[in-house]
Amino acid sequence: MNPEIPLSTSTSPVAQPSRQYAAPIAGQSGHIAIDQIRIAFGTGKQSFLAVENFSLEIEPGEFVCLIGPSGCGKSTVLNSIAGFITPTQGTVSVDNRQIDGPGGDRGMVFQQPSLFPWKTVLGNVAHGPLMAGKSKAVAHGIAQDFLEMVGLANFKKHYPMMLSGGMQQRVAIARALANSPQVLLMDEPFGALDAQTRFMMQENLLKLWQDLKTTVVFVTHDIDEAIFLADRVVVMSANPGRILKDISIPLPRPRAIEILLDQKFATLKKDCFDLIRQESLLAFEQQKIGT
Amino acid sequence: MGISKQRQQLLNRWAFILSIPLFFGGWEIISRSGMVNPVLFPPPTLVALALYKWATQGPLLVDIAMSLSRVLVGFISGAVAGILIGILTGRYQFIANLLTPVFQLLRPIPPIAFVPIVILWFGLSELGKWFLVFWGVFFTVWIAAHLGVQRVDKTLIRAAQCLGTPEQKMLPEVLLPGAMPYILVGLRTSVSISFYTLVAAELAGTFSGIAYRIDIAQQNLQVGQSLGGLIILGLISAMADKAFGVFSKKMVWWS
Ligand SMILES: Nc1ncnc2c1ncn2[C@@H]1O[C@H](COP(=O)(O)OP(=O)(O)OP(=O)(O)O)[C@@H](O)[C@H]1O
Ligand SMILES: [Mg+2]
Repeated sequence: MNPEIPLSTSTSPVAQPSRQYAAPIAGQSGHIAIDQIRIAFGTGKQSFLAVENFSLEIEPGEFVCLIGPSGCGKSTVLNSIAGFITPTQGTVSVDNRQIDGPGGDRGMVFQQPSLFPWKTVLGNVAHGPLMAGKSKAVAHGIAQDFLEMVGLANFKKHYPMMLSGGMQQRVAIARALANSPQVLLMDEPFGALDAQTRFMMQENLLKLWQDLKTTVVFVTHDIDEAIFLADRVVVMSANPGRILKDISIPLPRPRAIEILLDQKFATLKKDCFDLIRQESLLAFEQQKIGT
Repeated sequence: MGISKQRQQLLNRWAFILSIPLFFGGWEIISRSGMVNPVLFPPPTLVALALYKWATQGPLLVDIAMSLSRVLVGFISGAVAGILIGILTGRYQFIANLLTPVFQLLRPIPPIAFVPIVILWFGLSELGKWFLVFWGVFFTVWIAAHLGVQRVDKTLIRAAQCLGTPEQKMLPEVLLPGAMPYILVGLRTSVSISFYTLVAAELAGTFSGIAYRIDIAQQNLQVGQSLGGLIILGLISAMADKAFGVFSKKMVWWS
């Protein structure tokens, strides 16, 4: 099938000198402030309260994972940061600017790679820089750098459909990062991948993040994934979606996959697991009463 | 059972090769058999002769050029307008609300029904022919582009927005290529529509063109030339369809 290039994880996370463009973002940008938001879909009797009384502050360069049961509003919160959804009440700001629509300062990676099928891999990654007004030569230089960082420089002339799902998702990550966003939003980006590929993707993502210092908000329902990646794991509960607990993850970095066997990891995992289990049971009971 | 697989394949191949010769052969035999009136139903050899005369002593090339130019002008203008407006109505609710009711009202009117009015408006000029072909092509392409844009993957549009794509770049960068597979289906249908409309336009009154010549030949009872004209029309529109198939592949190179 499609060749999958193994991602080396032992190399140092320091940016290689050959890279001209893939530099850490300047200064302390990428601060996110979600203030008392409430998000309802529809109006009148059909109205559904998806998120209520939700406040969250994320520091520049932080890696935060949102977890919670299916339907608890994780994507809704992420979409409100992206600017696809405007909260019914409350505000979302990035670097003290209130969000009023999607923009290039907030990159997003979706569960499906969502690459432009009519563009080559290089064309996809160069899209953001081109839209930002960079010349073609510069945009291609940037794209080349980011493709190297995700290990796909050899595939730059391919079209997306010629790549495996994991490779496509790496291109999607490179595409989002090539735009030098202050914030990277990821909605279950590895949800559709097999376990082996997931591990590689997670390690590669951490490496990229440590190079670039971008703020990351990462939605998942995989507790292992959340704890492995995050500085903080924000556990949400459903009906309506709100924050149950904000758990900081004091595991040392750089992290490698062996950390999953660590005793500290196991304790953190148990905390999260118990919380979500209680919450799921509660939701289940509520649903039984509701019907 | 009795026939081996290889034999069957050989037979299938021959059926394909012989299809057209058998058709013309059968026609020739029937025409010459005395079963039918050979003046009204001339054999293909006489049709070929009439075509040859039309080409060497008559204006066949001019007729082809005139017909083709009408189809081309009407098709291209209808296609361009249909694609542009279809993308706009597909993307912007305001424009859709403004135009869609009118278009839905006008769309079902067959272009041929316009012929009498067109003669009043444009006389026998080329403009009238272009208008009729345009009318036939525009609505089909418009609907295809409109639906195509609405069916572009929403996540793809969101991805583009998150990459800082400004709205005016959305059209060439995402909406047009995203809708292209649908637009091409509309365009292909329009190729044959434009030939139908051409015939109606030329029968309504002009001084040259394949369908015009078919009409004149019929009035002079030169049935050979009439049938020859039909064959030419068939060949041209089949070739246009083939060429369009090649063009389509080029336009959606990624699939
Ligand atoms: N456009 C919409 N209209 C109406 N309801 C919606 C809409 N989008 C989401 N919802 C509802 O809001 C709730 C939260 O949805 P959301 O997609 O944010 O959940 P999630 O936590 O991302 O779930 P999952 O883990 O399954 O992706 C769900 O109950 C969903 O049905
Ligand atoms: Mg979701």
